[in-house]
Amino acid sequence: MTKFLPALSVLFAVVATAVPWGLPADATFILPLVVVMMVFCWRIIPGAALPPAGAVGLGLLADLMSGGPLGYWALMCLVAATAGGRAGSFSKGRDLGVHWLIWTALVFALGGFGWLLASLYYFRWIDWWPIAFGALASIALFPVVLHGLLWIRHGRLGPDRSVIFRGGS
Amino acid sequence: MRERGSPLFRRHRPSWRAPVELLSFGLYFLCAVLLVLSRIGHGVIADARDGLVDLTAPLLEVASLPAIEARRAMERAQLYASAFKEVDRLKKENEELKQWEWRTKLLERKVSHLRSLLNAVEEPALVYATGRVIADARGPFVRSALINLGRHDGLRIGYAVINGDGLVGRTVDAGGSVARVLLLNDLNSRIPVLAGPAGLRGLASGDNSAELQLDFLPEGAALYAGDEVYTSGSDGVLPRGLRVGVVTGTPGAFKVRPYAELNSLDAVSVLFFDTPALTRADPPEAESAGALSAVPGDRTKTATASAALPVSVAVPAGGGQARAER
Repeated sequence: MTKFLPALSVLFAVVATAVPWGLPADATFILPLVVVMMVFCWRIIPGAALPPAGAVGLGLLADLMSGGPLGYWALMCLVAATAGGRAGSFSKGRDLGVHWLIWTALVFALGGFGWLLASLYYFRWIDWWPIAFGALASIALFPVVLHGLLWIRHGRLGPDRSVIFRGGS
Repeated sequence: MRERGSPLFRRHRPSWRAPVELLSFGLYFLCAVLLVLSRIGHGVIADARDGLVDLTAPLLEVASLPAIEARRAMERAQLYASAFKEVDRLKKENEELKQWEWRTKLLERKVSHLRSLLNAVEEPALVYATGRVIADARGPFVRSALINLGRHDGLRIGYAVINGDGLVGRTVDAGGSVARVLLLNDLNSRIPVLAGPAGLRGLASGDNSAELQLDFLPEGAALYAGDEVYTSGSDGVLPRGLRVGVVTGTPGAFKVRPYAELNSLDAVSVLFFDTPALTRADPPEAESAGALSAVPGDRTKTATASAALPVSVAVPAGGGQARAER
């Protein structure tokens, strides 16, 4: 069961993106980006298994539920999975700050790429603000999501705490 | 003597990572292919997607319940917080509405008298069904919602969807028990409208923002902020006279603020308004249609008998199919 925890938690988040929360129009990009962020986080958490193919499958489900073009969120999740796989894990002595910085760079790159892709898809410039707002919100939410996933993985933060926070107990 | 460490003479060893990278490349390629097929609207992709949406509909319906209840609870809490102010506002509104009621009755009598003089044909009532939004699909590409009404309820593609405030959008996919509604503010939404007291013709286009763009107005159109905008029916799909919103913005850059709160939709009604444009668009192979298709079920036959050009449509309090007040 522990093996499927990453995929199950992302699946839960994918379903949550389709639920009518009544969010304002500017905030529509936040939840799908949280899904992408979860894929990234699971890839950097040591011992957790979320293969790129799984990330693509979950991204396709997000595409399906959003009614948008198939492959868009799948591509975003795949990029996040690839970047997460190459970012190095906590066990290699990296701390929260470094991964937070990597996510910041990645989400801006993804946001720009996503905006270009969406504009290309429609042959017109798409409003960039919701994407930028979603990217900023996801940067702010990164530690919360990472802690949540660590809690899901271990049931507690214990062993990883010293790795996440330098000098932490 | 050979230098063993030289890269030139190093024996090539197949990397264990090669299949992984090949798979990764394959996945990127798959995503790109899916995007292209999606863009050109390939039938296989559309059918597969529609079938899967119909399958996931029950899951979404269950998952959306806590969110809807939480939203209602928040709205209720806000209402309690401003209860006294709201009561005052409603009292004032009630007084105004009483005046309007009296005036409407007079006008109704007058219209009825004029119609009898003209021997005008009676307009049959418009059939409609009310359902609930079960999923909210909003992203960089789309502004749409899934509702728990489908072909089994007599629904077909192109029907207007309204709520208590006004027009919400139109159906673009219909499955057995679920349908996708393209919201007014979606990038692909184009609604022919009449604006202002003079009934100036225009086109309300969505751009994924909260307001719609009002294009193709006549040169020097005399429009003012606050003027009413309603459907013209000139597309041959939507009925004429459905409330859309009010004009905002300045001359040359007029916009429409929809009456319906598109971010927090709950109960919506689908108007079974059949027009030749809709029936012509139905594919001939009705039986072999996918889970979500343009072909409605048998119950649409009752809707086909319903009439055109309703002046106003009342939203029912409960669910199910009903007839609208004209």
